[in-house]
Amino acid sequence: MTTNPEKPIGANQLTNNVKAGGCSAKISAFELKQILAGLPKTKHVNLLSGIDNFEDAAVYKLSDELAIIESVDFFPPVVDDPYLFGQIAANNALSDVYAMGGKPLIAQAIFAFPTCDYPLAIAAEILRGGADQVAKAGALLTGGHSIQSSETIYGLAVTGLINPKDILTNSGARPNDRIIMTKAIGTGVSLLALKAGLLSKAEQAHLFSALTTLNDRALEAARTVDIHACTDVTGFGLVGHIHEMAKASKLAARMLISALRFFPSAQEFAKQGLVPASAYGNRKSFEASVSYIKDLPLEVSDLLYDPQTAGGLLLAVDEKDSANLIKTMGEAGIEATDIGAFIEGIPGHIDVLIS
Amino acid sequence: MKKSLDLRGLTCPEPVLRTKKLIDDPALSCIEILVDSEVNVQNLTRLANSQKLTVVSSPEDIHYKVVLQRAATEDNPGSHSHETVEARHKQANTSTSTNTSTNASNNSSTNTSTGSGTIILISRNSFGQADSQKVEGDSDKAKRDYDFSSNLLNLFLQTLLQSGHEPRAILMVNSGVKLMDPEGPYIKVLNELKEKGIEVLACGLCLDYYDLKSKVAVEQVTNMFAICEYLFSADRVISP
Repeated sequence: MTTNPEKPIGANQLTNNVKAGGCSAKISAFELKQILAGLPKTKHVNLLSGIDNFEDAAVYKLSDELAIIESVDFFPPVVDDPYLFGQIAANNALSDVYAMGGKPLIAQAIFAFPTCDYPLAIAAEILRGGADQVAKAGALLTGGHSIQSSETIYGLAVTGLINPKDILTNSGARPNDRIIMTKAIGTGVSLLALKAGLLSKAEQAHLFSALTTLNDRALEAARTVDIHACTDVTGFGLVGHIHEMAKASKLAARMLISALRFFPSAQEFAKQGLVPASAYGNRKSFEASVSYIKDLPLEVSDLLYDPQTAGGLLLAVDEKDSANLIKTMGEAGIEATDIGAFIEGIPGHIDVLIS
Repeated sequence: MKKSLDLRGLTCPEPVLRTKKLIDDPALSCIEILVDSEVNVQNLTRLANSQKLTVVSSPEDIHYKVVLQRAATEDNPGSHSHETVEARHKQANTSTSTNTSTNASNNSSTNTSTGSGTIILISRNSFGQADSQKVEGDSDKAKRDYDFSSNLLNLFLQTLLQSGHEPRAILMVNSGVKLMDPEGPYIKVLNELKEKGIEVLACGLCLDYYDLKSKVAVEQVTNMFAICEYLFSADRVISP
């Protein structure tokens, strides 16, 4: 473990009184299912995607050519730099719209801030970071709502547009489809290492760049082939989201460890015990659906359950399109990898193999 | 020497960081820690396993006690301490349900435990004295000297590859880690040595210093703790 003497540039250590940051703050799937169990299921002829199947966003059809995508996402600070936190939280919220195949149109900010504990300039920086990220996505930030709180929270409610025939769900995967992942895995572990002051400058730069990269270009590149299913990898970790996609598509999945990209040193940090609490929550929620080769190192399986903040897109495409898609993504500067396949089998079951 | 730590009320990564500090003190043979969440127990178990310490955890009232002990001393390396680990696991497994699978799976994949054989320690990117640092702003002669000794090192590794000798590991520290540069002249021979089953490992701190860390596969990155273990458990160490 190399201690980095230079803590990230931060004003008043924004992450200090945060218990769990980013998508690590998400309520586990296990708990969420219990909470939602008693609630009525909203159904409407125009509601094309609701809370079934753990979709990324709701889609409401306005006409045969037009539907709106609605999503909201927010969390406590994951980094000490307020501007960067704003960017990351906004990026994470915008991502849900891309995951449904749409384009963000307008956004409103959700903001809770302890005005007694931090200078107001910090609040302004968070909002500026968020606004810049929304602008980068070509959407409009049209307002929001703020409250006093003991803990800082920032995020967005985003409205996007889509032609109903272009909607991407997580239920459309077909047998033998390849699974494509467009970003590296390990933001939860890496953010914890950052909080511990253990990330080198190079590792920080790598992480921050991934956390502020929109999924717009990944989606655009993916549209060059026929996408069968799509989601973004966030709080439930890679295994959790593959499980949801497989289950919704009534298929099993096979995942190849050797094809995964991890953030630099993430395995090393996991090995030394820098594993976020919700990774354990995800393990509890999904482990029953996973069978892995016997000697899979613990630090690797930890990363499979690691909650991702502003994660990449997870796509199901036809076998014959996989290589082309990865090439197209590469040309667009996206390091996508083919990490496995959907297969006939127990719905939602995942076989984790080395290669 | 024994020390107790009360880390209740702290959330990740604090307990791991504070415990790590104590582990780094070689005078301590036993550390007893109180934490109040299962996550902290699991993370401390990972830390202990990565540092080759035995770990026993048990739930007490509303908190958990985690006891870490050094697995091996210079007097009793290897087998004896391993038995202790096994015994302690059995004990731990019967006393608590929280830490069973993690301990078992991690200890079975121990990769730097005591052993024998020859270790090759490369602490600069040349064979012998000439050093890249002397080249800068210096004469052509120094540059030629450096190129020569650098080529010698490459020749050494090539010869090693063909010799049939199989050292247990090749460790790279300081400017020696430059050999791992994927665009450098050494990487081919190092990969071939690795394919023969020789462990090829580089110091993470050093890779970081020379901006190479992101270019090297994680399983080939190691730390000073492991390097120290390799050196002390070796029959002999060769430093070209």
